[in-house]
Amino acid sequence: MRGNFDYTGKLVKFMLRRERIIAAIWIIVLVLFSVALAPGLETMFPDNETRENIILIYDNPIMVSMMGPIFDIDGEFTTGTIYAGMMLLWVMIAVAIMNIFIVIRHTRADEERWRAEVIRSLPVGRLSTVHAAMLTALIINTVLAVLTGLGLAATGTESMGFGGSMLYGAVLGASGLVFAAITAIFCQLSASSSGAFGLSFLALGGSYMLRAAGDVGNEVISLISPFGLAQRSMVYAENELMPLWGLLAIAFAFAALAYKFNSMRDLGQGFIPARMGRREAKKSLLSSFGLSFRLLKNSIIVWTITLFMLGASYGSIIGEIDRFVGDSPEYLTLVGLTPELLDTLSDSDKADMIVDGFGGFVTIMMTLIALVPLLMFALKPKNEEIDGRAEGILSRSVSRQKYLAGYVIIAFAMSIIVQLCTVVGLYGAAESTVREGEIGEVAAILNPFVFEKLLAANFAYLPAMWLIIGLAVFIVGLLPKAGGVVWGYYGFICFMALIGNIPDLLPAWLSNLSPFNFIPEIRVTNFDLFPAAESSAVPLIVLTGIAAALTVIGFIGYRKRDLITH
Amino acid sequence: MYMLEIENLTKKFGKFTALNNVNLQVEEGEVFGYVGPNGAGKTTTIRVLLGILQATSGTANVFGKDAWKDAVEIHKRIAYVPGDVNLWANLTGGEVIDLFVSLRQKSDKAKRERLIEKFELDPTKKCRTYSKGNRQKVALIAAFASDADLYILDEPTSGLDPLMGEFFVEEVLNLKNSGKSVLLSSHILSEVERLCDRVGVIMKGNVIKTGTLDELKQSAACADGKLPDSMEELFMRYYKVSEGV
Ligand SMILES: Nc1ncnc2c1ncn2[C@@H]1O[C@H](COP(=O)(O)OP(=O)(O)OP(=O)(O)O)[C@@H](O)[C@H]1O
Ligand SMILES: [Mg+2]
Repeated sequence: MRGNFDYTGKLVKFMLRRERIIAAIWIIVLVLFSVALAPGLETMFPDNETRENIILIYDNPIMVSMMGPIFDIDGEFTTGTIYAGMMLLWVMIAVAIMNIFIVIRHTRADEERWRAEVIRSLPVGRLSTVHAAMLTALIINTVLAVLTGLGLAATGTESMGFGGSMLYGAVLGASGLVFAAITAIFCQLSASSSGAFGLSFLALGGSYMLRAAGDVGNEVISLISPFGLAQRSMVYAENELMPLWGLLAIAFAFAALAYKFNSMRDLGQGFIPARMGRREAKKSLLSSFGLSFRLLKNSIIVWTITLFMLGASYGSIIGEIDRFVGDSPEYLTLVGLTPELLDTLSDSDKADMIVDGFGGFVTIMMTLIALVPLLMFALKPKNEEIDGRAEGILSRSVSRQKYLAGYVIIAFAMSIIVQLCTVVGLYGAAESTVREGEIGEVAAILNPFVFEKLLAANFAYLPAMWLIIGLAVFIVGLLPKAGGVVWGYYGFICFMALIGNIPDLLPAWLSNLSPFNFIPEIRVTNFDLFPAAESSAVPLIVLTGIAAALTVIGFIGYRKRDLITH
Repeated sequence: MYMLEIENLTKKFGKFTALNNVNLQVEEGEVFGYVGPNGAGKTTTIRVLLGILQATSGTANVFGKDAWKDAVEIHKRIAYVPGDVNLWANLTGGEVIDLFVSLRQKSDKAKRERLIEKFELDPTKKCRTYSKGNRQKVALIAAFASDADLYILDEPTSGLDPLMGEFFVEEVLNLKNSGKSVLLSSHILSEVERLCDRVGVIMKGNVIKTGTLDELKQSAACADGKLPDSMEELFMRYYKVSEGV
């Protein structure tokens, strides 16, 4: 008879060895990210007034549901409380993802590949694997917690003391452990690692949503969510310890439950049988277009919702926009205004102008984000080819053009959908949150956006987006192994869009390599004191023409070359 | 007219010559075995026939049409099982079978069900959970459920257990009896022996011999008249022959 936990120590060592590089990367990135942003926040919000302004922006249901509450110390906000309010949730989500990966990698995924069988034939206890995985997670989370805490304390930010910083690290690690334990349970329940992934991410999403619902409604609901509970430690404000103990207790209890389930099942089996899929295909799948649509469907839905939500969250801050940024020189340069200009305007023009500039800025940001799914879709056939799945379709009576078109059409169509999502989200949220007289001290302005103009401003970017999609099609058709070029060019465009506003920094020819440089700025409000720069449709037509040419060349190339094999 | 005809086919990958002046014909109603060691060029030949790769020189015709230019037309009458079956993790085996069949013609439900039962495939499972053998079964069922004129099978049994291998042989014999043509690349001598009317041997990109299996064995017989009794032995002898040349 051997013990349930025999050999655990050796397994932990083995797991840590396998984890060392990935875990190190996670920890370094997360700690650097956490530590680097603290001083930045301090310079961005040096005094009470600027802090009040950012709080105003956050103080509406949409932002609170996205970010969670920001706590105060007797009505005062400090860099520390703002930092905790803005950062903790996102870092916790990242840590949760890290833990989900760790636990699944060492338990269910190994079992799936029958590596675990080999291990269990050694003198290893029944529960040793899951126990070792939990200990591995514990060690990694502890290291992360301590380094984060020490790092934050070391920034020397006045409002971020040692105790608070260590508590910040500790709740971060503890919430990570909760997800490690939840994942361990799902690894017992589900018979496949993908099933365990799905359930774990569902739990993660659910925790986020519960917290969101609780934060804008009944706070008790938030406490059910590990995220909501962790935030209630009110780091850098009250520094409550109870939530920390609560998280650790929950992690412990879930781990015990996972051990219980583990001892009740056979190796390679789960409690929930692998979900059965369709025995027969739906009619809609039965064409090469049907297949590409099916493969991209989930992405389409997720990105559509994400962009809408992002647009809405930008729109929801319109009401307070000028208080936040009105006089900040950084913002003015960002949107292309000067303080002198601002002084000559009436209040209502001022509001319009600021919103106009903000709208233009948001349009560029959202367009950049929206390009990600478009490029993924346009490059998908290349990945299908490299993974050997295109051959299965093209050896049937499907022409190369038809196959490629299945993805390219979706990418182009999606470009219109994403821009529409942004506009509807932005406009809708502004419409529903801006109440009369709320733009700064200015009276009687409702939603300053004009829908048609906002739509036109966003659609004006379509030719630039098409050009980038066209480049992707060109690459797929002619140089399928050089997909990185497309992402590199995308990175260049992002860089230019963010840096390009600084006058005389970069030579004109370099700026002109970005298609965004040719998109006319279109006013998104009724602001008309200064007419927008003379704009003509010619650049848009030229960009569209280049996009079309690249696409056509890509299609011809795709027809003429060997498929990638091996 | 030949079902497929390859004349002086050369295929180069950069400087590397994968196929060197290959000549091959498959007649109507014939099961043609295509054998040769790893890396000899079997899969490359098949990919040229399917218009997945373009010939560097020479011609490859199927049903009298050009394999590259008329690929779509040709594929309407071909069923193909690749050696390495890659499927979509999120689709079920049943969905993939329907997809594969329908990209050529209307599916025959009764045939499909019979084959799924025979090969003991659970069509409700997602492809990511399938073993190599099960993925191969998906491709085989899709091929046998199609009503094609030419079946191109690239090492179709490499992941199957012996019983399934037996079912496979049965199905190919069915095809043969109904007058279909088959190009079968294989490493398994017993399979080739039972199924193939003629065999082509390819080595290092050169088809060095075609003929019935008996003819091949005869031509590879030792001085003492002993015939090779396994694929390995046959290969070994041809190696020596090709080395000698
Ligand atoms: N896309 C490619 N690029 C470069 N070389 C290739 C490519 N495809 C095949 N080759 C080479 O061509 C030769 C023939 O390969 P092929 O796949 O046709 O062999 P095979 O006879 O099918 O072998 P096996 O029995 O292992 O399946 C091999 O040396 C292989 O490495
Ligand atoms: Mg091969």
